[in-house]
Parts: sequence; structure tokens; C-alpha cells
Amino acid sequence: MARTARDEKLSRRSWLLAGVGVFVSPAHGEGKLFVSWDGDDLHVAAPQLHFLSGKPLERLKDGATVLYLSQLTLFADRFTTVMRRAPDRFAVSLDIWEERFSVTRLGGEARSASYLTAPAAESWCLENMAISSSGLMRDRDFWLRFELRAADPREEAGVVGDAGINLARLIELFSRQPGPQQPHWRLDAGPLRLSALRRISGRSNRNG
Amino acid sequence: MNLARWSCLFWGSLLLAGTPQYSEINVNARYRVESVELTGESESKISSGLREQMTSLVGEYLNPGLLDELSKRIASELHVRTVTHRILRGTRPDHVRVVFEVKNRLARFDLSVPRVLYHSNEGLNGVVEGTATVGAHAFTLGFVSDGDELAERYTGVRARYTNKRVGTDRLGFRFLIESYHVQWNQATQMAQASAGDRTPGIYRDRQNLEPAATVVLARPLSLSFGASFQSFQTQVPAARTQAANSLVTTLRYHRVLEDSGNQHDLDAGYSLRAATRLLNSDYAYVRHHWSLRYRVSRGRHMVTDDLTAGLITGRAPLFERFALGNSSTLRGWNKFDLDPLGGSRAAHNSLEYRYRLLEVFYDTGAVWDPGQTARLRHSSGLGVRLGVFSALVAFPVREGRIDPVFMVAMNY
Repeated sequence: MARTARDEKLSRRSWLLAGVGVFVSPAHGEGKLFVSWDGDDLHVAAPQLHFLSGKPLERLKDGATVLYLSQLTLFADRFTTVMRRAPDRFAVSLDIWEERFSVTRLGGEARSASYLTAPAAESWCLENMAISSSGLMRDRDFWLRFELRAADPREEAGVVGDAGINLARLIELFSRQPGPQQPHWRLDAGPLRLSALRRISGRSNRNG
Repeated sequence: MNLARWSCLFWGSLLLAGTPQYSEINVNARYRVESVELTGESESKISSGLREQMTSLVGEYLNPGLLDELSKRIASELHVRTVTHRILRGTRPDHVRVVFEVKNRLARFDLSVPRVLYHSNEGLNGVVEGTATVGAHAFTLGFVSDGDELAERYTGVRARYTNKRVGTDRLGFRFLIESYHVQWNQATQMAQASAGDRTPGIYRDRQNLEPAATVVLARPLSLSFGASFQSFQTQVPAARTQAANSLVTTLRYHRVLEDSGNQHDLDAGYSLRAATRLLNSDYAYVRHHWSLRYRVSRGRHMVTDDLTAGLITGRAPLFERFALGNSSTLRGWNKFDLDPLGGSRAAHNSLEYRYRLLEVFYDTGAVWDPGQTARLRHSSGLGVRLGVFSALVAFPVREGRIDPVFMVAMNY
């Protein structure tokens, strides 16, 4: 569909905003998603997002390791046609004597950081997420979605056990909408253009 | 909508992929355990072996992965759905307290697939069950199709009521109801036709009512006793309903021991079924079955020896006869080549070695009837086993053409 002059105007305005980051349609007061580009990968930041809270924080205070599942998704249009996904997993634990957080990024290139405050641990997780920009045209719009979910401890085991496959838990796992027991966050950004994004030096390479 | 479906699949697969020991990545692993407590249930209700394992954590560095394992074992022994653990500051610096919390839900419903097997000779076998649990009472309704265990393929429903705690933890009760439609392999039908009256007739369906009680004599020794009322409609030589009513009893011993890096698991059992005309049975026979399994594991190595033997005196219906050449005995052989009607005598030994996921095995056994010479047969194979899942290929040890048997299974 042909773009209207108004669309063009709005888009230029958003390019200006991209000097310090890109405004995103935030969900539920979780703040804005800022997107930057290092020439290879897209990176995100959400200073107002605090996911070390609620039930997961209670579990952390009980000495448990909490697994956070994250995903960055690139869309070619307004959140309908997926171009690429980049999933990640982070294991977070809280030192019960020092009351500081330790975070480990699981998967191929494992990294970790310790003795972090809650905001620092949250920032560290986001800084270690990235999605490849390969194939994106510099002057073509794209959209980006950031999702984060704390794994429910009930899901972590129990689907497969000595008693075989528990179908009830499997169905529950695949059909459950995240509820208050299962905190989740989602932030959307777009329309974005590579040429309008803040350029940063390379932080991490990935092939998301 | 499509996106939502993909999203569900994504989170599920990411979670399942993430299962391996992430809980061990815990900053508190640098602290030593000061004490271990159990709340929500009396410690006397768990086995002494498990109590010893919990106590052995004291003084050691915290191992969150081990806490997860112990939580599962406590839940398994207490028959509760969830046991969680908390780590609290100890009274001394750099020490922590571990608290296991038992959370017992009064009622729940579980839908499960306890067993599934694809066998290249036998096809698909499996069980699907739904269980409603209210306190100590469990009501189970399941659908079964099994062409592996016996000379017949039985397909149908089974219902079970179980009370694992009748007044005391030492006494349990179970009532089993089964109703199956039975199909026969052509080899069995031909063997039965040629044997005539010397062997029991084949039947098209059978039903079973089986009340039984279990008494823990002295942990880990338990005794089950009850009665089985089986009725079945014979096809050959004439259509009529017959009964095989018997007294049933099983003595079982199961113990796990640990010493300097080795874990020993011993499971022994003897079961007796005695059908008598006093119970209005058309058949009178006694069926004995012995089993002994010893497993030793050290690190990633595991060796298992599984010995079974069976003996039937008198004339027993076909579902009581022993069949070898299936997914657990003489793997690689076709049971219909060995004895299409099953035998009244059987002896079998299986030796398995596992290293990580890899498994190799060697089976030896014989099935025969009185007056016949027992012919010992051998088979071997290899495959991979991951938790309850396995994929194996097995070969009979014999001269001439060898057809491998493939098995993909869960809990077989």
C-alpha cells in the first residue's frame, strides 16, 4: 500500500526521536523500549522495566534460581509477519547473605555477572540480548517485540517423570495464558528504520 | 491466532530445552549447610535412607541440584504433588538452613501416558490414564492396548481404586477392574488348533475383578494379598464363558544402598496365583513368578542384571502363560517364533550396561512346557536411553538370516 504524506511526516518525527533511542508503544506502564544498532545486531534497553519483582523475587529470596525466558522478534509489518526470533534464557539467583543478584545467560555463549543490585541485574539481562539485523534494509520499516517471562516452577518439572508423560500438565503448559502467578512482560517498538536508530559500538554478536 | 500458537510452542520448547540443571547455577552454592528441616509432614513418614541423605547435606556446600532431587524423592515417598525447598540464612556467617516444605493438595486430577511402545514386530502398545486423587484415595480410569506382554493383544479399559493409607501407612488397598477385547496372532491360532484339547482355548474377551491389600511387613519388605476373578468367553472349541478365579499374593523387597560413590538398587519379588475350584473356577492351577533385579551405578556407568523365572502347575488359561521375545525379554526374537502359545515354564536373564545415554544389553532365556526340552536362546542389542525414553535395536543370536527388531519406548 502506498504510504501517505502524513505517514511520512510521522515517520520523520520518529527518526528525530531516535537520536536518543526509539519510542515504543509500551504495555501496562512497563516503560519504553529503546532500540539501538551496532551495525550487526539490534540491542534493546528498558530502564523502566523491573522484572525482579513479585513472585519471582519471593522465590529468589527463598534461595531458588529463577529462570527467565526472553525473546526478541523482528516483524516485517505491524506485528504480523515474523522475520526472525532470538530467544534467550537467564538464570538469576540472589545471594541471601549479601542480598545481591547473580545472573547467568544460558546457551551457546554463556556469560555471567555477580554482585549486582536489582536494577543492575535487570540491565545486564537486557544488554545481553540482541537480534541480528542481517537482511534488513536501511530505509525500510520494521517492528520489534520484546517478551520476557519468568518460568513457572510448576512447569520446570513434572511433565515427564517416572510415571510417564503427564498430559494434564503438558496441556496446561501449552495452553496457559500467563497469569499473576506467571509474570510476563511485553514491549513493542515500531515502525523503526536502521538508518534512524542510534548507533552504538558492538556489544555482543549473535545470529538470532 | 497463529502467532499465539507459535508463541505457546516457543515458550514450551524453550522451557523444556532449558531443563538441564539450571537450578545448580546459584550464587548460594558457596555457603555451607547448617541444618536441614522438613515442614508440613512428619519426618518419620519418609524412609530412613532418605532421612540419612537429607542429614548428609549438613556441613557440605549447598548443592541446589541435589535439593531438587531430594524434593522429588520426598514427594514420591509421601505421595504428594509438590515439595519445595527454601534456603534461609543460618545462625553462623556463610552458613544456610535448608527447609523442605511439603504442600499437599487435597484433590487433583491427572491425565497421563504411563507407557508407550512402538515395536517393529508388535506395532503400537500403550496406556492412557486419568486419575482423580482425593486425599489418600485415587480413582483411575485407563485405556490399554498391549500386544507385548502376553501371547495375546488385549485392548480395553481398566479402572482402579487405590487407597495407600488405610488407617495406617503400613496398610493399603486396591480394587482393579479390567475389561479387554482380545486379538490373536495367526501363529497362535494355528498352534492352538493343532494342539487341540492339550492347550487351553483362545477367547475373544476377558474381564477381571481383583481386590487386594498391601501390608508393609518391615520396610522395605511388603506383602500383597487378594483375589482375582477372571471370566472370559472362549471361541474354540465352543463359545462359552469360563472363569479362572484365584488367590493372589506378592512378596516384594526393594532397597537402595549407597557406599563410596556406588549406588546399589535391589528389587526382588515373588508372586503366586492359585486358582481353585473352591472359588468356583473352571481352571485349577498354581502360577509362581520370581524376579530379582540388581543394579549398581557409579557416576555415569550403570550395570543391571534382571533375572526372572516362572512355573505353572496345572492347566492355566493362555493369559497366565509366560511369553518371551518381547520388549523386555529376549529382545530381538519374535515371541510367536519361540512359542506362539506361551509356555508354562520360563527362565530369563538380562544383562545391561549403560554409559550416559548409551545402552547395550545381552538377553538369555528359554520358554517351554513339561515334556519339552528347554532350548536356551540369546539376543543382544544397543540403543540410547534418556530418562524414561529409549530407542533400541535388538538382534537374535542365531544362524541364518537375522532381522533386527526396533523399539522406541517410554517406561518399557
